[in-house]
Amino acid sequence: MVRAVPAWLRVGAWVFVALTALFLLAPLVVVVGVSVSESQFIAFPPDGLSLRWYREVLQSDRYLASAWISLRVALAVTVTACLIGGAAAIAIHRRTLPFSEAMATFFLSPLVLPTIIYAIGMLMLWSALFGPVSILTLWLGHTAITLPFVVRTTLAVLSESDPFLEEAAKTMGANRLQRLWLVVLPQCLPGLLAGGFFAFNISFDEAVLSLFLRRPDMTTLPVQIYGQLEFSPDPSVAAVSSIMIALTVFLIIVIDRMLGIQKFASN
Amino acid sequence: MTDRTENLVLVLPGLLLLALAFFVPIARMLVLSVEGEAGLTLTHFERFLSDPFYLSVLWRTVRLSLIITLICAAIGFPMAYIMAHVGPRLRLWLIVLVILPLMTSVVIRTFGWMVLLGRSGLIPEILRDLGLAERNFAIMRTEAAIVIGMVQVLLPFMTLSILGVITRIDRRLEEAARTMGCSFLGTLRTVVLPLAMPGIVAGSLLVFTLSASSFVTPNLLGGSRIQVLAASIYRSVTQTLDWPFAAAQAVILFAGVLLILIPYAQLTRRADG
Repeated sequence: MVRAVPAWLRVGAWVFVALTALFLLAPLVVVVGVSVSESQFIAFPPDGLSLRWYREVLQSDRYLASAWISLRVALAVTVTACLIGGAAAIAIHRRTLPFSEAMATFFLSPLVLPTIIYAIGMLMLWSALFGPVSILTLWLGHTAITLPFVVRTTLAVLSESDPFLEEAAKTMGANRLQRLWLVVLPQCLPGLLAGGFFAFNISFDEAVLSLFLRRPDMTTLPVQIYGQLEFSPDPSVAAVSSIMIALTVFLIIVIDRMLGIQKFASN
Repeated sequence: MTDRTENLVLVLPGLLLLALAFFVPIARMLVLSVEGEAGLTLTHFERFLSDPFYLSVLWRTVRLSLIITLICAAIGFPMAYIMAHVGPRLRLWLIVLVILPLMTSVVIRTFGWMVLLGRSGLIPEILRDLGLAERNFAIMRTEAAIVIGMVQVLLPFMTLSILGVITRIDRRLEEAARTMGCSFLGTLRTVVLPLAMPGIVAGSLLVFTLSASSFVTPNLLGGSRIQVLAASIYRSVTQTLDWPFAAAQAVILFAGVLLILIPYAQLTRRADG
């Protein structure tokens, strides 16, 4: 006889999941709550209901300038990370080069190395070679730390693809470029897209590298928010944050609709 | 053009980018930490290791990271187990629940905790109303605030890392244990837990590394008086502008992280293969 799972344990499991959900979502809910407050001060539960802080954000040069920098960097990073990372993943997957395994590890290493160690090195090297940091520094830095995500998702998709398709195309007379463009690229497209979305999200939300590589006139959105939090936060910070949360929700929905989020969650 | 040349052309931009824009900067940081006015020197390390203040910062970093890792593992394991065993619809929702905070900027999540834990925030208020805390009770600017915030930031890493291993455990092992008369909790302890161990250990090493190297959440929730190593590095770079000393502190962090990453790399390789 199999003994049933005791009822208290089932109830306990549900309570546990509910509490964990509350714990994980609480800070996000609070930020959104603060952003719709009418009051001058940060308060949760919010006093009254208004969108005045959103209006404030959309009229603030400071936030708009930061958003514009973040957006430009994130888009540039997405494109370069997909191009460079996708190409590298294809080459690693084919395993014709020596040290393919070692190269895979090499490409994934920025994932495990703490960003702060890299950030301080990048700041020191850039200052020694080129002087003050620029948007180019941020672009390079974010590309380096997002590259592993693109390589990983693309490799995951390629490892499930049909290896004989490319060979078939070769026998049918397709040249190298045609094979890459018409056969391999469509095969790794889901991985590239997922990696691209992750790259955009990480670059847009990243604070550590951006805090080290900043200039007074070049702050990304997370750095702008961090600065406000250190000194005098008002509900407009919550409004900016809520807009960023909305963007994240949108990205998750897009990834899930296009590719299924479960696939990329647990590997 | 051979296949090899084609693949070399494909992989080369990535190799160059990582080598020049990732590993050279780290090497530069390593060199700067031992660079003195007259050749090589270890003075920056000596200064760190002989100052009780910095030693206490180091000790606090290790201690808090350990606590954070343990709490994450204690919540992450049951969470991952439940996620692996519920129906596909609910699992999707739970995965979104874990991924949404993960993909939200750390700055924003910390802001949420600042509001919740602050002087007139919801949590101290509730504790006061329940009579569990005194009137001038505060959580902000304590180590407890750092732990609460960091667990929320790092729990998704732990949960996903354990989930990846638990979903690959053969369900029939659990069923066999149950039909042989083992209770549910007994099965969990003697079958699932040992098999999930690689995921728990890998997740713990990852969470410990990330926790030891983060400064955004500790800075904002702990304030400037409760410093951790990464926050001290950030301060040396941006406020005192003592870059060689910052580099030395980063090397100490780097050494600690490498000690942890070597078993991590071996574990994850075994789990993948």
